[in-house]
Amino acid sequence: MIGIVLFLVGNRVDELRVYEGATLAMYVVAIASIILLTGYSGQVSLGHGALLAIGGYSAVLARNYWSLPIWLCFAVAVLTAAAAGAVLGTAAARLSGPYLAGTTLALAVGLPSIANQFSFLGGEQGLLFDVGVPPNSLGADFSPYKWYFWIAASAALVMVWWLQNILRSRYGRTWRAVRGDEIAAQLAGIHAGKSKALAFTVSSGVAGLAGALLAMTIGTVSPSAFPLTLSFSLLTGAVLSGVTTLPGVMIGAVTLVATPEIAGAISHRLGNSGGVTTNLPGLLVSALLILVVMLIPNGPVEQLRSVRVRRNANIHR
Amino acid sequence: MFTLINTILIGLTSGSVYALMAIALVLVWRSTRVVNFAQAGQALLSTYIGFECIGRFHSFWVALIVAMILGAAVSALIEVIFMRTLFKRNTGPIAGVAPIIATLGLLGIIRGGIGIFMGGKEAIIRPPLSNVGFTVAGHTLAFSPFKLVIVSAVLVMMIGLSVVFTKTNIGLALRASAYAPEIARLAGVKVDAIRTLGWSIAGAAGAAAGMLQTPNGTGALSPDSLEFSLLLVFGFIAAVIGGLESLIGAVIGGLLLGLVLAVVLMYVNATLLFVTAFVLLIVVLLVRPQGIMGKKAGRRA
Repeated sequence: MIGIVLFLVGNRVDELRVYEGATLAMYVVAIASIILLTGYSGQVSLGHGALLAIGGYSAVLARNYWSLPIWLCFAVAVLTAAAAGAVLGTAAARLSGPYLAGTTLALAVGLPSIANQFSFLGGEQGLLFDVGVPPNSLGADFSPYKWYFWIAASAALVMVWWLQNILRSRYGRTWRAVRGDEIAAQLAGIHAGKSKALAFTVSSGVAGLAGALLAMTIGTVSPSAFPLTLSFSLLTGAVLSGVTTLPGVMIGAVTLVATPEIAGAISHRLGNSGGVTTNLPGLLVSALLILVVMLIPNGPVEQLRSVRVRRNANIHR
Repeated sequence: MFTLINTILIGLTSGSVYALMAIALVLVWRSTRVVNFAQAGQALLSTYIGFECIGRFHSFWVALIVAMILGAAVSALIEVIFMRTLFKRNTGPIAGVAPIIATLGLLGIIRGGIGIFMGGKEAIIRPPLSNVGFTVAGHTLAFSPFKLVIVSAVLVMMIGLSVVFTKTNIGLALRASAYAPEIARLAGVKVDAIRTLGWSIAGAAGAAAGMLQTPNGTGALSPDSLEFSLLLVFGFIAAVIGGLESLIGAVIGGLLLGLVLAVVLMYVNATLLFVTAFVLLIVVLLVRPQGIMGKKAGRRA
């Protein structure tokens, strides 16, 4: 549904909006991976930026060294990130709450700096990601950004649809059971560690795709494209969407894309002083984050649902 | 030989600052079961307060004390305003994640706020004592009077806190409300007030870490300075390595991290610092998932 609307809109608006649309689709994928991990499996990751980096770099390397077709590059990104996630997830399943948060935080800070160590990863400048020109069948005036947007939007659509299905399946139920009460789940015959590790693997794979999409939209990968703030803002997006509700994922993504715009408008009003322009977006996102956690901790979608349930209960009384 | 001695000295100094930060995190974790990611932000805010004080009173030591007191006040305010509401309102699946997210949000607000109001200003804190290394037998050691102050400040705080925790009634109340809040409440301990106290001590420790670390490095203070990212990440890693539960663990974690990082810095390459911290953390946690000094949770099932 949302996807069709997106496609229609994508054909009508100007370049900048199309570019933002591609970023939006990237955020949708990334936030969905966090929602899966935190909301459904109950594990906190402060380091998804690192998994995005793994995805981004492996897509670029696959493109540059083997010149694979673009969709295969994305597949490589997903698989590499999922493999990394499997290793991490096995370690993560042994850790709880703050220990896991600490490990993933250290990963997010540490991993991008590895790129500076190996010359084939391009160092601080990073590597160029050449997605190629849009196919001729789409017409001559089809801009590359629109092409990026189409790729990103369809990847996002497929991903969200697939995640929705997997969360409704046995695996989704198992993850929620472990999140709810690990011991009760174990008594019911669920291997809690395996279940957590699997959730981490799947989430990492999805994050890898988001990383490849990010690399595509900005055209390069470099350590500075995956800062710690990226991990934090993804978590913010997940909370704004409601960590336990995948359908709310658009809310978080739209907020993350719109905040810099709004902040830009406000700081323009205030006279564009340097301090305001650079710091306002972060300030706005953080303020929003605090407000949501304090007022509607389970996210807007869940809040709406519980209000509706309460109202129905009153009617039937 | 002198390189080795210098490595150890550098490790001890930076490790002490990480240990201070880790102590702050452990205090907060013990009193409210919250990992306070805003701690680095609070330290930054306190350091800015200290910087303003140096401008007024022209004394680093007065500024240090004012920064610690105000840092404690800010920390207590955060606990009362945000954490209490959060715990009252939060139920459901997000309950475990909410405090982490809230403190991350606070970190962003503090950073952004300081960036807007103070970002354009140049802020430099100079060390109050000489930061030129002692000279022994013609070699300059990486250890100066000011670094001596840093290490001893950590020692004093550490000893002071252990005395408070083990010998005084307040310490007993702090420990009781950390381990069994319900029972402590029944025994007449004002658990909420004690929690706020735990937060404020942590705020003071964080302020001290910020005030000591800044002049030890370049001295420049800015909302997105590397020093404070280091404090946030390494303080946290030190606390987790130490086990989050114990103050001694925090100090051991801080010193261990400081030493390992100093070895990498002196013998290998500065760009590997963060990776090394990550590897150290992973290795410690794989061997002991509850940290070096952490206690294993009892079997519940």
